[in-house]
Amino acid sequence: MAEKFDHLEEHLEKFVENIRQLGIIVSDFQPSSQAGLNQKLNFIVTGLQDIDKCRQQLHDISVPLEVFEYIDQGRNPQLYTKECLERALAKNEQVKGKIDTMKKFKSLLIQELSKVFPEDMAKYRSIRGEDHPSS
Amino acid sequence: MRGRGGARLRVGGGGSGGGGGGGGRAVDAMENFTALFGAQTEPPPPPPAALGFGPGKPPPPPPPPPGGGPGTVPPPAAAPAPPGSDKAAAGCGPFYLMRELPGSTELTGSTNLITHYNLEHAYNKFCGKKVKEKLSNFLPDLPGMIDLPGSHDNSSLRSLIEKPPILGGSFNPITGTMLAGFRLHAGPLPEQCRLMHIQPPKKKNKHKHKQSRAQDPVPPETPSDSDHKKKKKKKEEDPERKRKKKEKKKKKNRHSPEHPGMGSSQASSSSSLR
Repeated sequence: MAEKFDHLEEHLEKFVENIRQLGIIVSDFQPSSQAGLNQKLNFIVTGLQDIDKCRQQLHDISVPLEVFEYIDQGRNPQLYTKECLERALAKNEQVKGKIDTMKKFKSLLIQELSKVFPEDMAKYRSIRGEDHPSS
Repeated sequence: MRGRGGARLRVGGGGSGGGGGGGGRAVDAMENFTALFGAQTEPPPPPPAALGFGPGKPPPPPPPPPGGGPGTVPPPAAAPAPPGSDKAAAGCGPFYLMRELPGSTELTGSTNLITHYNLEHAYNKFCGKKVKEKLSNFLPDLPGMIDLPGSHDNSSLRSLIEKPPILGGSFNPITGTMLAGFRLHAGPLPEQCRLMHIQPPKKKNKHKHKQSRAQDPVPPETPSDSDHKKKKKKKEEDPERKRKKKEKKKKKNRHSPEHPGMGSSQASSSSSLR
Protein backbone atom coordinates (compact mmCIF):
# COMPACT_ATOMS: atom_id res chain seq x y z
CA MET A 1 0.00 0.00 0.00
CA ALA A 2 2.65 2.46 1.10
CA GLU A 3 4.84 1.52 -1.88
CA LYS A 4 2.28 2.90 -4.28
CA PHE A 5 2.32 6.24 -2.52
CA ASP A 6 6.10 6.27 -2.29
CA HIS A 7 6.28 5.64 -5.99
CA LEU A 8 3.91 8.50 -6.77
CA GLU A 9 5.66 10.79 -4.30
CA GLU A 10 9.00 10.08 -5.90
CA HIS A 11 7.67 10.89 -9.38
CA LEU A 12 5.98 14.04 -8.16
CA GLU A 13 9.16 15.23 -6.47
CA LYS A 14 11.16 14.61 -9.64
CA PHE A 15 8.55 16.44 -11.65
CA VAL A 16 8.53 19.44 -9.33
CA GLU A 17 12.30 19.58 -9.40
CA ASN A 18 12.28 19.49 -13.21
CA ILE A 19 9.77 22.32 -13.30
CA ARG A 20 11.91 24.32 -10.89
CA GLN A 21 15.01 23.82 -13.03
CA LEU A 22 13.02 24.73 -16.13
CA GLY A 23 11.95 27.93 -14.40
CA ILE A 24 15.58 28.79 -13.64
CA ILE A 25 16.62 28.20 -17.25
CA VAL A 26 13.77 30.31 -18.57
CA SER A 27 14.11 33.12 -16.03
CA ASP A 28 17.43 34.21 -17.50
CA PHE A 29 17.54 32.49 -20.84
CA GLN A 30 20.75 32.29 -22.83
CA PRO A 31 20.93 31.00 -26.42
CA SER A 32 23.38 28.33 -25.28
CA SER A 33 20.80 26.86 -22.89
CA GLN A 34 18.35 25.97 -25.65
CA ALA A 35 19.53 22.34 -25.69
CA GLY A 36 19.06 22.11 -21.91
CA LEU A 37 15.61 23.62 -22.24
CA ASN A 38 14.61 21.07 -24.87
CA GLN A 39 15.89 18.26 -22.65
CA LYS A 40 13.98 19.56 -19.67
CA LEU A 41 10.80 19.80 -21.74
CA ASN A 42 11.09 16.16 -22.66
CA PHE A 43 11.84 15.26 -19.04
CA ILE A 44 8.58 16.92 -18.13
CA VAL A 45 6.71 14.86 -20.71
CA THR A 46 8.23 11.64 -19.38
CA GLY A 47 7.50 12.82 -15.84
CA LEU A 48 3.84 13.29 -16.74
CA GLN A 49 3.81 9.82 -18.31
CA ASP A 50 5.22 8.31 -15.12
CA ILE A 51 2.64 10.09 -12.96
CA ASP A 52 -0.11 8.95 -15.30
CA LYS A 53 1.05 5.35 -14.91
CA CYS A 54 0.71 5.67 -11.13
CA ARG A 55 -2.94 6.53 -11.62
CA GLN A 56 -3.78 2.89 -12.39
CA GLN A 57 -2.44 1.74 -9.02
CA LEU A 58 -4.36 4.37 -7.09
CA HIS A 59 -7.81 4.12 -8.64
CA ASP A 60 -9.25 2.75 -5.37
CA ILE A 61 -7.98 5.64 -3.27
CA SER A 62 -10.52 8.29 -2.42
CA VAL A 63 -9.58 11.67 -1.03
CA PRO A 64 -12.08 13.80 0.90
CA LEU A 65 -12.89 17.02 -0.89
CA GLU A 66 -12.44 19.00 2.31
CA VAL A 67 -8.70 18.30 2.13
CA PHE A 68 -8.54 20.21 -1.14
CA GLU A 69 -10.14 23.18 0.56
CA TYR A 70 -7.43 23.17 3.18
CA ILE A 71 -4.73 23.03 0.52
CA ASP A 72 -6.39 25.76 -1.55
CA GLN A 73 -6.40 28.01 1.50
CA GLY A 74 -2.68 27.41 2.03
CA ARG A 75 -3.31 25.41 5.19
CA ASN A 76 -1.65 22.25 6.34
CA PRO A 77 -3.84 19.26 5.30
CA GLN A 78 -2.80 17.46 8.49
CA LEU A 79 -5.08 19.90 10.27
CA TYR A 80 -7.98 18.21 8.52
CA THR A 81 -6.88 14.82 9.87
CA LYS A 82 -6.51 16.33 13.31
CA GLU A 83 -9.96 17.88 13.25
CA CYS A 84 -11.49 14.65 11.95
CA LEU A 85 -9.98 12.65 14.78
CA GLU A 86 -11.04 15.21 17.36
CA ARG A 87 -14.58 15.30 15.98
CA ALA A 88 -14.74 11.48 15.93
CA LEU A 89 -13.61 11.25 19.53
CA ALA A 90 -16.05 13.94 20.66
CA LYS A 91 -18.94 12.21 18.89
CA ASN A 92 -17.82 8.86 20.27
CA GLU A 93 -17.90 10.24 23.80
CA GLN A 94 -21.27 11.84 23.19
CA VAL A 95 -22.81 8.58 21.94
CA LYS A 96 -21.21 6.64 24.77
CA GLY A 97 -22.78 9.07 27.20
CA LYS A 98 -26.18 8.54 25.61
CA ILE A 99 -25.82 4.77 25.69
CA ASP A 100 -24.73 4.80 29.33
CA THR A 101 -27.63 7.05 30.26
CA MET A 102 -30.10 4.81 28.46
CA LYS A 103 -28.68 1.76 30.22
CA LYS A 104 -29.12 3.47 33.57
CA PHE A 105 -32.65 4.43 32.59
CA LYS A 106 -33.44 0.87 31.57
CA SER A 107 -32.17 -0.59 34.82
CA LEU A 108 -34.09 1.96 36.87
CA LEU A 109 -37.23 1.36 34.83
CA ILE A 110 -36.98 -2.40 35.26
CA GLN A 111 -36.34 -1.91 38.94
CA GLU A 112 -39.41 0.24 39.38
CA LEU A 113 -41.59 -1.91 37.13
CA SER A 114 -40.59 -4.96 39.12
CA LYS A 115 -42.05 -3.33 42.19
CA VAL A 116 -45.39 -2.64 40.48
CA PHE A 117 -45.63 -5.63 38.10
CA PRO A 118 -43.49 -8.32 39.67
CA GLU A 119 -45.03 -11.20 37.72
CA ASP A 120 -44.79 -9.47 34.36
CA MET A 121 -41.25 -8.44 35.01
CA ALA A 122 -40.32 -11.93 36.10
CA LYS A 123 -41.62 -13.16 32.77
CA TYR A 124 -39.79 -10.41 31.00
CA ARG A 125 -36.56 -11.39 32.67
CA SER A 126 -37.08 -15.00 31.86
CA ILE A 127 -37.66 -14.13 28.20
CA ARG A 128 -34.60 -11.95 28.14
CA GLY A 129 -32.61 -14.52 29.99
CA GLU A 130 -31.80 -12.08 32.78
CA ASP A 131 -31.97 -13.30 36.34
CA HIS A 132 -31.34 -9.88 37.81
CA PRO A 133 -32.16 -6.45 36.53
CA SER A 134 -29.34 -5.19 34.40
CA SER A 135 -27.37 -2.37 35.96
CA MET B 1 -52.34 2.79 28.98
CA ARG B 2 -53.28 -0.74 28.41
CA GLY B 3 -55.91 -0.41 31.07
CA ARG B 4 -57.33 2.72 29.60
CA GLY B 5 -57.34 1.46 26.06
CA GLY B 6 -58.64 -1.86 27.20
CA ALA B 7 -61.54 -0.23 28.93
CA ARG B 8 -62.57 1.48 25.76
CA LEU B 9 -62.29 -1.70 23.74
CA ARG B 10 -64.09 -3.73 26.34
CA VAL B 11 -67.06 -1.51 25.83
CA GLY B 12 -66.98 -2.12 22.11
CA GLY B 13 -66.36 -5.84 22.37
CA GLY B 14 -69.31 -6.45 24.58
CA GLY B 15 -71.80 -4.38 22.62
CA SER B 16 -72.11 -4.77 18.89
CA GLY B 17 -72.14 -7.90 16.85
CA GLY B 18 -69.91 -6.23 14.26
CA GLY B 19 -66.93 -7.02 16.39
CA GLY B 20 -67.81 -10.65 16.60
CA GLY B 21 -64.95 -11.78 14.37
CA GLY B 22 -62.46 -10.51 16.86
CA GLY B 23 -64.59 -11.39 19.81
CA GLY B 24 -63.15 -14.85 20.32
CA ARG B 25 -59.64 -13.47 20.13
CA ALA B 26 -60.58 -10.75 22.51
CA VAL B 27 -61.88 -13.30 24.91
CA ASP B 28 -58.59 -15.21 24.76
CA ALA B 29 -56.70 -12.06 25.41
CA MET B 30 -59.03 -11.22 28.18
CA GLU B 31 -58.30 -14.55 29.81
CA ASN B 32 -54.62 -13.85 29.61
CA PHE B 33 -55.11 -10.42 30.97
CA THR B 34 -57.27 -11.54 33.86
CA ALA B 35 -54.86 -14.29 34.57
CA LEU B 36 -52.08 -11.77 34.76
CA PHE B 37 -53.76 -8.84 36.35
CA GLY B 38 -56.99 -10.18 37.78
CA ALA B 39 -55.77 -10.23 41.34
CA GLN B 40 -54.46 -6.71 41.23
CA THR B 41 -56.56 -3.92 42.61
CA GLU B 42 -54.17 -1.23 41.41
CA PRO B 43 -54.81 0.52 38.12
CA PRO B 44 -53.78 -1.62 35.18
CA PRO B 45 -50.18 -1.21 34.03
CA PRO B 46 -49.26 0.63 30.88
CA PRO B 47 -48.70 -1.41 27.75
CA PRO B 48 -45.22 -2.59 26.85
CA ALA B 49 -44.97 0.03 24.12
CA ALA B 50 -45.12 2.72 26.76
CA LEU B 51 -42.46 0.89 28.75
CA GLY B 52 -40.04 1.17 25.93
CA PHE B 53 -39.90 -2.50 25.03
CA GLY B 54 -40.43 -1.64 21.40
CA PRO B 55 -42.78 0.33 19.23
CA GLY B 56 -44.45 -0.53 15.99
CA LYS B 57 -46.99 -3.30 16.59
CA PRO B 58 -50.67 -2.63 17.14
CA PRO B 59 -52.08 -2.91 20.64
CA PRO B 60 -53.54 -6.25 21.67
CA PRO B 61 -57.21 -7.08 21.69
CA PRO B 62 -58.70 -5.53 24.78
CA PRO B 63 -60.13 -7.43 27.68
CA PRO B 64 -63.88 -7.37 28.03
CA PRO B 65 -65.52 -5.03 30.47
CA PRO B 66 -66.30 -6.38 33.86
CA GLY B 67 -69.91 -5.46 33.70
CA GLY B 68 -70.56 -4.87 30.06
CA GLY B 69 -71.60 -1.48 28.73
CA PRO B 70 -73.00 0.44 25.88
CA GLY B 71 -71.89 -1.11 22.66
CA THR B 72 -69.59 0.65 20.26
CA VAL B 73 -67.82 -0.67 17.24
CA PRO B 74 -64.39 -1.91 18.21
CA PRO B 75 -61.48 -0.24 16.48
CA PRO B 76 -59.56 -2.15 13.81
CA ALA B 77 -56.87 -2.93 16.34
CA ALA B 78 -59.21 -5.47 17.83
CA ALA B 79 -59.45 -7.33 14.51
CA PRO B 80 -57.62 -10.67 14.26
CA ALA B 81 -53.91 -10.24 13.77
CA PRO B 82 -52.04 -11.98 10.97
CA PRO B 83 -50.66 -15.40 11.79
CA GLY B 84 -47.04 -14.22 11.84
CA SER B 85 -47.67 -11.71 14.57
CA ASP B 86 -49.53 -14.37 16.52
CA LYS B 87 -46.40 -16.48 16.63
CA ALA B 88 -44.27 -13.53 17.71
CA ALA B 89 -46.74 -12.62 20.39
CA ALA B 90 -46.93 -16.22 21.57
CA GLY B 91 -43.14 -16.38 21.91
CA CYS B 92 -42.96 -13.34 24.15
CA GLY B 93 -45.99 -13.98 26.34
CA PRO B 94 -47.59 -10.70 27.34
CA PHE B 95 -44.76 -8.69 25.81
CA TYR B 96 -45.91 -8.80 22.23
CA LEU B 97 -43.99 -5.65 21.29
CA MET B 98 -40.63 -7.00 22.32
CA ARG B 99 -37.77 -6.90 19.96
CA GLU B 100 -34.53 -8.75 19.86
CA LEU B 101 -31.83 -6.93 21.74
CA PRO B 102 -28.85 -5.83 19.68
CA GLY B 103 -26.05 -8.31 19.85
CA SER B 104 -23.20 -7.58 22.17
CA THR B 105 -20.76 -8.03 19.30
CA GLU B 106 -22.27 -5.12 17.41
CA LEU B 107 -19.93 -2.13 17.25
CA THR B 108 -21.47 0.91 18.90
CA GLY B 109 -20.36 4.24 20.26
CA SER B 110 -19.92 2.70 23.70
CA THR B 111 -16.55 1.37 22.58
CA ASN B 112 -13.62 3.66 21.98
CA LEU B 113 -13.56 3.64 18.21
CA ILE B 114 -10.12 5.25 17.98
CA THR B 115 -8.68 2.32 19.91
CA HIS B 116 -10.84 -0.16 18.03
CA TYR B 117 -9.44 0.93 14.69
CA ASN B 118 -5.87 1.23 16.03
CA LEU B 119 -5.71 4.96 15.48
CA GLU B 120 -4.09 5.88 18.80
CA HIS B 121 -0.79 6.53 17.07
CA ALA B 122 -2.43 8.87 14.56
CA TYR B 123 -4.39 10.57 17.34
CA ASN B 124 -1.30 11.15 19.44
CA LYS B 125 0.62 12.32 16.41
CA PHE B 126 -1.90 14.91 15.27
CA CYS B 127 -3.69 15.83 18.48
CA GLY B 128 -0.88 15.38 20.98
CA LYS B 129 1.27 18.19 19.66
CA LYS B 130 0.53 21.35 17.77
CA VAL B 131 0.31 20.94 14.00
CA LYS B 132 1.76 23.86 12.09
CA GLU B 133 -0.82 25.86 10.21
CA LYS B 134 0.89 26.59 6.91
CA LEU B 135 1.01 24.40 3.86
CA SER B 136 4.72 25.15 3.47
CA ASN B 137 5.29 23.35 6.78
CA PHE B 138 3.75 20.23 5.27
CA LEU B 139 5.57 20.59 1.94
CA PRO B 140 8.79 22.39 2.87
CA ASP B 141 10.60 21.50 -0.35
CA LEU B 142 7.97 22.79 -2.73
CA PRO B 143 9.16 25.95 -4.52
CA GLY B 144 7.05 29.08 -4.74
CA MET B 145 4.64 30.85 -2.44
CA ILE B 146 2.35 27.93 -1.65
CA ASP B 147 0.86 29.48 1.49
CA LEU B 148 -1.17 31.96 -0.51
CA PRO B 149 -4.76 30.98 -1.30
CA GLY B 150 -5.10 29.18 -4.59
CA SER B 151 -7.82 31.55 -5.73
CA HIS B 152 -5.22 34.37 -5.96
CA ASP B 153 -3.30 32.88 -8.84
CA ASN B 154 -6.08 30.58 -10.08
CA SER B 155 -4.15 27.50 -9.00
CA SER B 156 -6.75 25.99 -6.69
CA LEU B 157 -7.40 22.26 -6.70
CA ARG B 158 -11.11 22.97 -6.50
CA SER B 159 -10.97 24.67 -9.91
CA LEU B 160 -9.13 21.62 -11.24
CA ILE B 161 -12.07 19.46 -10.17
CA GLU B 162 -14.77 21.84 -11.27
CA LYS B 163 -13.14 22.57 -14.63
CA PRO B 164 -10.98 19.58 -15.45
CA PRO B 165 -8.38 20.17 -18.14
CA ILE B 166 -8.98 18.75 -21.59
CA LEU B 167 -6.82 15.69 -21.79
CA GLY B 168 -5.68 13.84 -24.81
CA GLY B 169 -5.16 10.11 -24.97
CA SER B 170 -1.54 10.08 -23.83
CA PHE B 171 1.57 12.18 -23.28
CA ASN B 172 3.81 12.13 -26.31
CA PRO B 173 7.41 13.32 -26.36
CA ILE B 174 8.06 16.63 -28.09
CA THR B 175 9.71 16.05 -31.43
CA GLY B 176 12.31 18.24 -33.12
CA THR B 177 9.87 20.30 -35.14
CA MET B 178 7.63 20.83 -32.13
CA LEU B 179 10.62 21.94 -30.05
CA ALA B 180 11.11 24.79 -32.48
CA GLY B 181 8.11 26.38 -30.80
CA PHE B 182 10.08 26.61 -27.57
CA ARG B 183 12.91 28.76 -28.86
CA LEU B 184 13.18 31.61 -26.42
CA HIS B 185 14.63 35.09 -26.60
CA ALA B 186 17.76 35.66 -24.60
CA GLY B 187 17.50 37.79 -21.48
CA PRO B 188 15.90 37.81 -18.07
CA LEU B 189 12.20 37.47 -17.49
CA PRO B 190 10.18 40.50 -16.51
CA GLU B 191 9.81 40.84 -12.76
CA GLN B 192 6.12 40.03 -12.63
CA CYS B 193 6.86 36.59 -14.08
CA ARG B 194 9.47 35.70 -11.45
CA LEU B 195 7.00 34.72 -8.78
CA MET B 196 8.17 31.15 -8.87
CA HIS B 197 11.54 32.00 -7.36
CA ILE B 198 10.13 33.86 -4.41
CA GLN B 199 10.35 31.68 -1.37
CA PRO B 200 8.50 32.30 1.87
CA PRO B 201 10.82 33.65 4.57
CA LYS B 202 12.00 30.81 6.72
CA LYS B 203 12.31 31.25 10.45
CA LYS B 204 15.84 31.07 11.70
CA ASN B 205 16.78 28.80 14.52
CA LYS B 206 16.80 30.81 17.74
CA HIS B 207 19.92 29.13 19.04
CA LYS B 208 21.85 29.92 15.91
CA HIS B 209 20.60 33.47 15.99
CA LYS B 210 21.99 33.98 19.46
CA GLN B 211 25.36 32.66 18.41
CA SER B 212 25.52 34.95 15.42
CA ARG B 213 24.67 37.90 17.66
CA ALA B 214 27.54 37.15 19.93
CA GLN B 215 29.98 36.68 17.09
CA ASP B 216 28.93 39.47 14.75
CA PRO B 217 30.76 42.73 15.36
CA VAL B 218 27.84 44.74 13.93
CA PRO B 219 24.60 42.99 14.82
CA PRO B 220 21.43 43.49 12.78
CA GLU B 221 19.17 46.28 13.93
CA THR B 222 16.47 44.73 16.01
CA PRO B 223 14.59 46.12 19.01
CA SER B 224 16.25 43.61 21.28
CA ASP B 225 19.69 44.87 20.36
CA SER B 226 19.42 48.12 22.28
CA ASP B 227 22.13 46.99 24.71
CA HIS B 228 24.56 46.54 21.86
CA LYS B 229 23.84 50.04 20.63
CA LYS B 230 24.55 51.50 24.04
CA LYS B 231 27.84 49.67 24.19
CA LYS B 232 28.68 50.90 20.74
CA LYS B 233 27.94 54.49 21.77
CA LYS B 234 30.15 54.10 24.78
CA LYS B 235 32.93 52.88 22.57
CA GLU B 236 32.50 55.88 20.29
CA GLU B 237 32.57 58.28 23.22
CA ASP B 238 35.69 56.77 24.71
CA PRO B 239 38.31 58.61 22.58
CA GLU B 240 36.68 61.95 23.33
CA ARG B 241 36.72 61.21 27.02
CA LYS B 242 40.33 60.22 26.84
CA ARG B 243 41.17 63.55 25.25
CA LYS B 244 39.26 65.44 27.95
CA LYS B 245 40.99 63.45 30.64
CA LYS B 246 44.37 64.25 29.16
CA GLU B 247 43.55 67.93 29.03
CA LYS B 248 42.41 67.89 32.65
CA LYS B 249 45.56 66.13 33.69
CA LYS B 250 47.66 68.72 31.96
CA LYS B 251 45.71 71.54 33.65
CA LYS B 252 46.04 69.90 37.05
CA ASN B 253 49.72 69.41 36.57
CA ARG B 254 50.05 73.08 35.72
CA HIS B 255 48.03 74.25 38.72
CA SER B 256 49.52 71.88 41.30
CA PRO B 257 53.20 71.58 40.84
CA GLU B 258 53.45 69.83 44.20
CA HIS B 259 51.76 66.78 42.83
CA PRO B 260 53.12 66.33 39.37
CA GLY B 261 52.90 62.59 39.34
CA MET B 262 49.18 62.14 40.04
CA GLY B 263 48.08 58.65 39.04
CA SER B 264 46.03 58.24 35.96
CA SER B 265 43.92 55.72 37.80
CA GLN B 266 42.66 58.35 40.16
CA ALA B 267 41.86 60.67 37.31
CA SER B 268 39.97 58.06 35.51
CA SER B 269 38.05 57.14 38.64
CA SER B 270 37.10 60.73 39.25
CA SER B 271 35.91 61.11 35.69
CA SER B 272 33.96 57.97 35.97
CA LEU B 273 32.24 59.28 39.08
CA ARG B 274 31.15 62.29 37.13
